[in-house]
Amino acid sequence: MQHVLVIGAGTMGTVHASSYAKMENVELAGIVDIRKQIGGPLAAKLNTNYFTSFEEAVTQLPRIDVIDVCLPTYLHKKYVLKAADLGKHVICEKPLARTKEDAKEMISYCKEKGVKLFVGHVLRFFPEYVKAKEIIDKNEIGKPAMARTTRGGIFPTAWNDWYADYKNSGGLVLDMIIHDIDFLRWCFGDVKRVYAKSVLGRSFNRIDYALLTLRFENGMIAHVEGTWAHEGFSTYLEIAGDNGIIEFDSKKEKSIYAQIRQKENGGGVAVPSSPLKENPYYQELAHFMECIENDCEPIVSAEDAFKAVEISLAALESIETGKVVEIKPSLTHA
Amino acid sequence: MKLGIISFAHMHAYSYARALQDLDGVELCGISDENEARGREAAAKFGVTYFADYNALLSEDIDAVIVTSENVNHHKHVLAAAKAGKHVLCEKPLGTTLEEMKEMVNVCRENGVKLQTAFPVRFNTSIQQGKKIIEEGKLGRIIAMKGTNRGTNPGGWFVIKSLSGGGAVMDHTVHVVDIMRWFMNAEVTEVYAEAGQFFSDQIDDCGLLTMEFDNGVFATLDCSWSRNKAYPTWGDVTLEVIGTEGTIFIDAFGQKLNVYSDSSGANWHYWGDDMDAGLVKDFIECIKEDREPSITGEDGLKAVEVALAAYKAAEQKSPVKLTILK
Ligand SMILES: NC(=O)c1ccc[n+]([C@@H]2O[C@H](COP(=O)([O-])OP(=O)(O)OC[C@H]3O[C@@H](n4cnc5c(N)ncnc54)[C@H](O)[C@@H]3O)[C@@H](O)[C@H]2O)c1
Repeated sequence: MQHVLVIGAGTMGTVHASSYAKMENVELAGIVDIRKQIGGPLAAKLNTNYFTSFEEAVTQLPRIDVIDVCLPTYLHKKYVLKAADLGKHVICEKPLARTKEDAKEMISYCKEKGVKLFVGHVLRFFPEYVKAKEIIDKNEIGKPAMARTTRGGIFPTAWNDWYADYKNSGGLVLDMIIHDIDFLRWCFGDVKRVYAKSVLGRSFNRIDYALLTLRFENGMIAHVEGTWAHEGFSTYLEIAGDNGIIEFDSKKEKSIYAQIRQKENGGGVAVPSSPLKENPYYQELAHFMECIENDCEPIVSAEDAFKAVEISLAALESIETGKVVEIKPSLTHA
Repeated sequence: MKLGIISFAHMHAYSYARALQDLDGVELCGISDENEARGREAAAKFGVTYFADYNALLSEDIDAVIVTSENVNHHKHVLAAAKAGKHVLCEKPLGTTLEEMKEMVNVCRENGVKLQTAFPVRFNTSIQQGKKIIEEGKLGRIIAMKGTNRGTNPGGWFVIKSLSGGGAVMDHTVHVVDIMRWFMNAEVTEVYAEAGQFFSDQIDDCGLLTMEFDNGVFATLDCSWSRNKAYPTWGDVTLEVIGTEGTIFIDAFGQKLNVYSDSSGANWHYWGDDMDAGLVKDFIECIKEDREPSITGEDGLKAVEVALAAYKAAEQKSPVKLTILK
C-alpha cells in the first residue's frame, strides 16, 4: 500500500487526489495547498488531511511513500527536489520543468537520491491514443507519413493567473501541446527539427495559438496545432500512412448526448460526452503506483518527459527567432 | 459567346466543359488536344469539333479559351491565345516559373485580353460565406489561419516533373494560398516548408507550409496527396481562421452523404453547390461586362510564387522571404 501526498489542490491536484481516493491499495495521506479555501474542502470531501504547506505535511504525517506534485510548472523543480531529499518517490505533472536545465537536474537529482520520478504525460493513457498507436504498430496503415494533431480550447484560468505568465508556464506550447509532442515521439521516435509560429510576441491578450511543424528522424512530418483561442476543449488526431489513415476528432466522437429540457425559458443545453469507467488520469496514476510496487519501468519515463520539454522549447525558440531549430541527438540524453 | 478548350490533360476540363454547356448564350465550339485520342473523345462527348492544332482552334471565330493543359504548357497556350486576341481562363497553377507567368500576364495585357486564373474554390458557397463573416468584422482582427488541401496522388503527368513542374506542393498549395490572400487582402512575405515523398518514388507527395503575411498573420497549409484508396473521398479543402473575436472553420466539401456500398465501399458524396460552374459563369460575365477578372493572372502568379518558395525552403531547410511584386 502506497501512501501518497498530493501537493496542489487546483485543477490537476483535484483530479489526482480524487483518483487516489478511489484506489483500493493506495492511501491518500493528505493534500497540500496554500489556499485553505481550496485545499480544505477538497481534503474534507476526499476524507483526508489538509495542510497549508509542504513542510507542515511532511513533518506531521506518519507515513508518506510518494509525493505527487500538481503545482504550477515553475514550482515543479523546487518541490520535486524537496520530495527527493526526503527519499520519497515523485510524481510530477507535465511539463516536467520550465527549462531543460531544470528538467535535467530534476532527473539526475532523483536518480542520485534513489527515488523514482514519474511525469504525467497522460495522453499515453487515453484509450483513443493508445489504440491509434496499436494500429500503427500493427502496420494497419502502413508506413506513417503525415500526422496532424490539435489540442485546446479556451484560455485556462488558474491560481494567480499563472498560465498567462509566459515565463512561468511557457504558454500553450510548453503547457498544452507538449502532450501531442510526447505522443508523437512515443509513436514515431525522435524529432530532428522544428519550425513553429505562434501568437507569442504579437500581443494578443488571453489568446494563444500555435502551429508547429516537426520533422522526425524517420522522415515523417507532423503538424501540431495548439489553441487557447477556441470555445470548448477538443482534440484531433490524424495519421496518414502509405496504406491507410487514422482519424479522430473529439468534437465528433461522442457517445452520449444529453439534452435536458429547461423548465423556465425553454431550450435546454446539449451536453455531449464520451464517458469511461476509469478516466485516463486514474489509469496513469494507477500505473505509476504499480511501477513503484513492482519496481518496473513506466510506459512514459522521465527521459521521455525531458525530450518532450526539449522539443517544446525548441518550438518556442523557433517562434522567437523565426528560424528552424535542429534537435541535436547529442544533447537529448538527460 | 463562343469558347474553345485547349487540352483535356487536366480533368477539370470536363467539368468546365459541362459548365459552359449549361450556360445560356454560351457555346463551346471546339476542343484541341495534342493527345488525339483524348481530344477526339472529349469532342465527341461534348458534340464539338476537334482540332489537332491549338492554333487552328485559335484562328476560329471564338471569344475565349479555357486552358487545361499540363502545367508546363500553360505558358505557350496562354501566349498563343492572347496573341490571337482570345480571353483566357487558365487552370491553376498558372505556370511553373515566375518568368513565364510574368510574361503570360504581360502578353495578355498587351493584347487586351483578360487572363483569369482558375481558382474555383473562391466560388465555393461556404468559402464565400466565410469571407463575408470576416468582412463584416465578426472575427475581429485575424490572428492566424490553418488550411488543408489534401488529395489523392493523381498519377499521370502530374507526377512527371517536366510536365507538372512539381508534385503535391505545386498542385495543392495554390488554392488555399489564394483563399488566404483573398480573405485578408494580404500578401505572403515568408514561407517555410517540409516536403517529402512517402507514397511513391516519383515526385513530392507531401508538404506542410508555414507562411507569414504582411498583415502580421501566420498560417500553415497541408498540401499533401495523403488520401488513400480506402478513404471515403478524394481529399479536402478546409480552412480554420482565428480572430480576436472568434474563429471559423470551413470544410468546403463538408456537405456530403455518407454512403456504404458493398460494391464500392465507403464513399462521401458531395451535394453542395458546384464551384466549377460558379467559376466558369464568372469568367463569362467578366468578358460580357468587360471588367477586370475577379481572379487575375497576378493572383495566379502570387499563389505559385508561394509554392516555388516552399520548394526552396524545404530544400535549404530554412524560411524563404518573398521579394517580388508588392
Ligand atoms: N495532464 C494534464 O492534462 C494537465 C492539465 C492541466 C494542468 N496540468 C499541469 O498541472 C500543473 C498544475 O496545473 P493546474 O491547472 O492544476 O494549476 P492550478 O492553478 O489550478 O493549481 C495549482 C494549485 O497550486 C497551489 N499552490 C501554489 N503554490 C503552492 C505552494 N507553494 N504550495 C502548495 N500549493 C501551492 C495553488 O493554490 C493552486 O490551487 C501544471 O504543471 C500544469 O501544466 C496538466
